[in-house]
Amino acid sequence: MIRILRNTVFPPGYSFLRPEAILVFVGLWELAAWLSPGWPSLIHEIFPILRSDFADAGFRQALLGSVRRMVIGYTLVMLLGVGGGVLFGRLPLVDQLLGSFAVAIHAIPGAAWVPLSILWFGMTEQAVIFTILLGAVGIVMVETDTGIREVPPFIRRAAQTMGARGVKYFWFVVVPAAIPKVVNGLRLAWAFGWRALMAGELLTSVGGLGQRLNQVAKTQQLDRLLALMLLISIIGILVDGLIFKRLEHEVRLRWGLT
Amino acid sequence: MQVDVQRVFKSFPHNGQRVDVLHDVSLTVKEGEFVCLLGPTGCGKSTIVHLIAGLEKPDRGSILIDGKPVAGPDPSRVVVFQDAALFPWLTVLGNVEFGLRMTGVPLRQRRARALEYLRLVHLSKFIHAYPHQLSGGMKQRVAIARALTLQPAILLLDEPFAALDAQTRAVLQNELLEIWELARPTILFVTHNVREATGLADRVYVISSRPGRIINTERIDVPRPRHAEDPRLLAHQHKILGLLGDEVEKVLQEELGERVHFPEAQHATPPDRSLGMHI
Repeated sequence: MIRILRNTVFPPGYSFLRPEAILVFVGLWELAAWLSPGWPSLIHEIFPILRSDFADAGFRQALLGSVRRMVIGYTLVMLLGVGGGVLFGRLPLVDQLLGSFAVAIHAIPGAAWVPLSILWFGMTEQAVIFTILLGAVGIVMVETDTGIREVPPFIRRAAQTMGARGVKYFWFVVVPAAIPKVVNGLRLAWAFGWRALMAGELLTSVGGLGQRLNQVAKTQQLDRLLALMLLISIIGILVDGLIFKRLEHEVRLRWGLT
Repeated sequence: MQVDVQRVFKSFPHNGQRVDVLHDVSLTVKEGEFVCLLGPTGCGKSTIVHLIAGLEKPDRGSILIDGKPVAGPDPSRVVVFQDAALFPWLTVLGNVEFGLRMTGVPLRQRRARALEYLRLVHLSKFIHAYPHQLSGGMKQRVAIARALTLQPAILLLDEPFAALDAQTRAVLQNELLEIWELARPTILFVTHNVREATGLADRVYVISSRPGRIINTERIDVPRPRHAEDPRLLAHQHKILGLLGDEVEKVLQEELGERVHFPEAQHATPPDRSLGMHI
């Protein structure tokens, strides 16, 4: 049972969060806490704070708020990013005229979208979601576009000699051939979106983990600030490791790219 | 169906200039005939296959199928590529069904036909495997089954066994001959291995190094099944190696940038070698 569970979460050949690495991290942290009096201990201070945080309804609400905004924002990123990328990949004219916009959007860090978002949407939930969208959509468009346009020549030739053309060629050859690129874009977009979410919440007042960061920093609670940052990091690592990195691993394996 | 390649020239752009790949190439493959194209590495053999398949267009000259010019790729002319070129996202069964799916054959019929050809290439046990789980020889079997399901009138094989070990290659060569005798498609088989060419073909076209020209055509009048040590085959091989000796030297010179001399006695060594393998 445990083995089945482990093989599902961590398929063979896939490495994620080695236990030794966690031990080293905790060890170094505790060493720093022991050497400098101002630095809170992970085990004796940070973990108890996180435990009491999770018992607190207000905190849980903030966490759920962040998750909700991320889910909405990321869904939009997926839809518009993949949709736009396919459009660019299929229509060379659109790509030439508008493709540079995707690149331009992608070149602006998520945090830099916050002022414009606030200007347009005010201190609202929409402003944060808009920040996530623009912080992460560019990379999905660029990667999808590349994947759609760059079908490996051997795949293209084989498909053409077997009579694949038109819609069928697109659907049964171009789309699957583009999947590794699209997955790569989606994985990066998750990381960019998560950063944009924090920046958005930090600078607006709609709640969420980002805003909590602001509050504990203002009241100079170093231990609480570190606990929050640790939590943000853990969520980032878990979502990437359990969903995106794993998906990418499986796709690369099957597509023969590793 | 008969294939006629008539006075074809083809060049490709390379570093800002055009490199001649084929120079005045003419050849014919008659209906049901098994013909090999034999030549050193980089002589444009694959280009001839791509032209007949309709993947490329000649600069000059014409490619005719039963007298009609080739307009583009068509499932009646299927290619088996050297690297198998399987679709990595499809299972073995999915790959073999692919062509039938593209030509609009309903699910039940295409599945039945795919399974039939998978049995023919002895892969019935692996229908749900993905290409990355297969050995090189198995991938080539899938590629052959995938091509055969379309029941093509012309089968083009572009060095299909070049990357395989000697034993696997011998087994697959025999299976290919068995399949050919069953359905009798017109076959054009590209190779740089003299022994492979003489062992398989009714006729061998010998091609020079770049730009590719037809040097000679050699009819192999040895009944099948053929034995590797048949003196008639050895005589053919000897003659072809004589024709190609200078050509291989040219390839080596071009690639290594110096003069490499092949002593005449080289031809007496067992001819189961690939041209250019000394490189």
